[in-house]
Amino acid sequence: MLLKKFFNVGFEEIRVLDRRAFALADLARYPLFSAEFLRFLAEAIPPARHAELVYSIVVTARKPAAMAP
Amino acid sequence: MAHFTDDEARGVIRDAYAQVRSSNTAVAAAFYGDHELAALPSAAAAMALGVGHPVKYADLREGEVVLDLGCGAGIDTLLAAKAVGPDGRAIGLDMTSEMVERARQNAREAGRDNVDIRQGLIEEIPLPDASVDVMLSNGVLNLSTRKSRVLAEAIRVLRPGGRIVIADLVLEEALPEDVLKSPAALAG
Repeated sequence: MLLKKFFNVGFEEIRVLDRRAFALADLARYPLFSAEFLRFLAEAIPPARHAELVYSIVVTARKPAAMAP
Repeated sequence: MAHFTDDEARGVIRDAYAQVRSSNTAVAAAFYGDHELAALPSAAAAMALGVGHPVKYADLREGEVVLDLGCGAGIDTLLAAKAVGPDGRAIGLDMTSEMVERARQNAREAGRDNVDIRQGLIEEIPLPDASVDVMLSNGVLNLSTRKSRVLAEAIRVLRPGGRIVIADLVLEEALPEDVLKSPAALAG
């Protein structure tokens, strides 16, 4: 879905260079999230998903050399 | 179905990032090397809130102009500034005045005079067409309710042949509705 958005606006050479699972426990490193919110997530999301809650990816792409500004 | 308007989402995110405080480098240590962190102001490392290391993949060259979308306290902006050298320039853009001030302070502390921190929206990048060689973003695109608009702006300000490197979070399976409705989830 995200890669399609890159393509739709005109990027080329779209590549995913890194992809790693982000666990619920990884979110605890972030000061953005309170202990209360993390407990809420733990209860709202099935335990089977806690180890792979989301994925962090690195995407690279290039604006075509022939593309006008 | 969207649970928040653009303005509501932006307000929640702005408040969350304005209030965030951190004195440890747990996030930075997960993505950056010790040698990189040792060369940065400690406040830049402590306020790292990204989800990857886009600079590592950007193949930055001396003299290039780099834009860091949603720069936060400036960790990637500073690493980019070092990589492009004195003939290059690293521009950090953030919508949160508190983060802008932190990034400027960190740039001063790092002694980087090729850093330019600006306040603005990633959906309305305050730069001319075709003025940037490389665009970076780290854990920011997912915060926008208008991702296609952000990418359209990215391609507008990039020079022909310019590169974009984005580290971000993606879902492979929808989160429960209760989570999607939570304002706290918007910030992450």
